[in-house]
Amino acid sequence: MIEGIGIAPLILLALWGGVVGIDLVSVPQVMVSRPLVVGIVAGAIVGDPMAGLRVGLVLELFALDVLPVGAARYPDYGAATIGAVLIVAGGPWVSGVGLGVATGLVIAALGGWTMPVLRRANAAAIARRIDGLQAGDSRTIRALQFAGLARDALRSGLLVGAAISAALLIRHLPPLGDEAALALTVAVIGAGVASALAGAMRTAGRGVRLRWLLAGLAMGITVALAW
Amino acid sequence: MVRGLGRAFTRLFAVQASWDYQRMLGIGMGYAAEPLLRELKSTDAARHANAVRRSAEFFNCHPYLAGLALGATVAAEYAGEPEDRIQRLRTALCGTLGALGDHLFWAGLLPALMGMALIVAVLWDPWWGLGLFLAGYNGCRVVVGWWGLKTGLAGGMRVGQAIAASWIPRARFVVGIAAGFMVGLAVPLVARYQLATLPRAAGLVALAVALVGLGLAYRFGSTFRGVRYGLFVVGVVLLWYGVMP
Repeated sequence: MIEGIGIAPLILLALWGGVVGIDLVSVPQVMVSRPLVVGIVAGAIVGDPMAGLRVGLVLELFALDVLPVGAARYPDYGAATIGAVLIVAGGPWVSGVGLGVATGLVIAALGGWTMPVLRRANAAAIARRIDGLQAGDSRTIRALQFAGLARDALRSGLLVGAAISAALLIRHLPPLGDEAALALTVAVIGAGVASALAGAMRTAGRGVRLRWLLAGLAMGITVALAW
Repeated sequence: MVRGLGRAFTRLFAVQASWDYQRMLGIGMGYAAEPLLRELKSTDAARHANAVRRSAEFFNCHPYLAGLALGATVAAEYAGEPEDRIQRLRTALCGTLGALGDHLFWAGLLPALMGMALIVAVLWDPWWGLGLFLAGYNGCRVVVGWWGLKTGLAGGMRVGQAIAASWIPRARFVVGIAAGFMVGLAVPLVARYQLATLPRAAGLVALAVALVGLGLAYRFGSTFRGVRYGLFVVGVVLLWYGVMP
C-alpha cells in the first residue's frame, strides 16, 4: 500500500495510461489522451477528482499550444497527466499542482522524444519486410500494422510506468516549502495561459479569426472579473 | 466493391498505428484498403497484388480524411486506371487532405470543443465538460470519416472536384472562427477558476508570467513552445527558492 493510494488504483492508472498512450497517435485517436480527460478520469481513479480536474485544466492549457501534425514531434501529455495527478492526489491542491504540473511537463517532453524512436523502429521493420510489400502481400501489411501497434503499446506502457514511478518517488520526498510550492503553482498557471494563447494566436494569423479570438478573450476576461 | 466498407472504415481508426518517416501513413492505408480490394483478387489476381502494393506505398494526409483518399484510390483500382494516374492521384491528395484536415480538426474542431469543455468544466461540471467534448468531437469525426470513405469511392479519380464542391472548405472557415472565440473565452475562465482562492498577488504574478510568455511567443513566433516555456518558468522558480542546486 502506498500512502493514501492503494495498489488497485495504481494498476488502474497504469491501464488507463496505456490506453491514453496509444490513443495519442495509433488507435483510436478519440482524444481520451487530452489532459483534461486523462486528469478527470485519473482523479476519479485515485479518489481525488478535484486534483484530477486542477491538474487536467493546467496541462490542457499547455496542450492547446500543440498541433499534433504528422511528422512533428509533440509532447505526450497522457502519461504526464497521470503522473501529475498522482503527485497532487490526497494533498492540498495549492501546494501540489505546481510540482505535479512541473513533473508532468518533464514527462511530456520525454514522451515527445519517444515518438521518433518509435517511428524509426517502424521504418526498420518495414525495411526488413520490403520483399513482401513489393509483392503486394496482404499478410505482410497486417503483420507490420500489428507490430507497429504493439510497439506503441510498449512505448506507452514504459512511459506511464516511468510517470507513476516518478510520481511515487516525489510523493516520498520532503515537501517543498509552502511559499515555493505556491509560487510554482502560480507560475505554471501563468505559463499555461501563455501557452494556450500563443497557440491560439499562431493558428489565428492576422485575419478574421484573430478578431474572434480577441472578442472571446475580452468576453472571458469580463466574465472572469465579474465572477 | 462496397463489400468490406465497414471493415475498412473501422481499420481507418488505426491508420497511423505503424507510422514511419518513409511511408508515413502508407502501411495503415494498405491495412485499411485490404477489405475493399479483396474482391479484385477473384477477378484479376495480378491487378490485386499490384493494388495492394500501391495501397501501402508512401502516403500522408490528415488521418480523419484518409478515407477520402482510400475510397478514391480503391475506386480507381477497380476502374482499371493505369498506375501512373493512381500515383498522381495519391500525390495530389496528400497536400490537399493534409491541409484541409489540419485546419478543420487540429486547428478548428479540437480547440473549439476543448474550449467549450473547459468552460463547462469550470462553470458547471467536469464530467459534463468531458462528455460533451468526447461525444461532440467523435460524433463529428465518425460522420466526416464515413462521408469521406463514401465520397472517395463514389468520386474515384474525380474526388478532387467532389471535395471542392463539398461543405468541407466552408466548414473549415466557420470552425476556425469558433476555435478562436472559444479558446479566447475559456482561458481567462480557467485562470480565474484556478486562482480564485489564492491571494491577489498570486493573480498578478500569474498575469506577469503569462504576459512574459506571450511576449516571447510574439518574439519567437512559431518556434515558441509552451512546454519549453513552462519548464523554463519552473526552473526559475526552483532556483529562486534555492530548491535546485
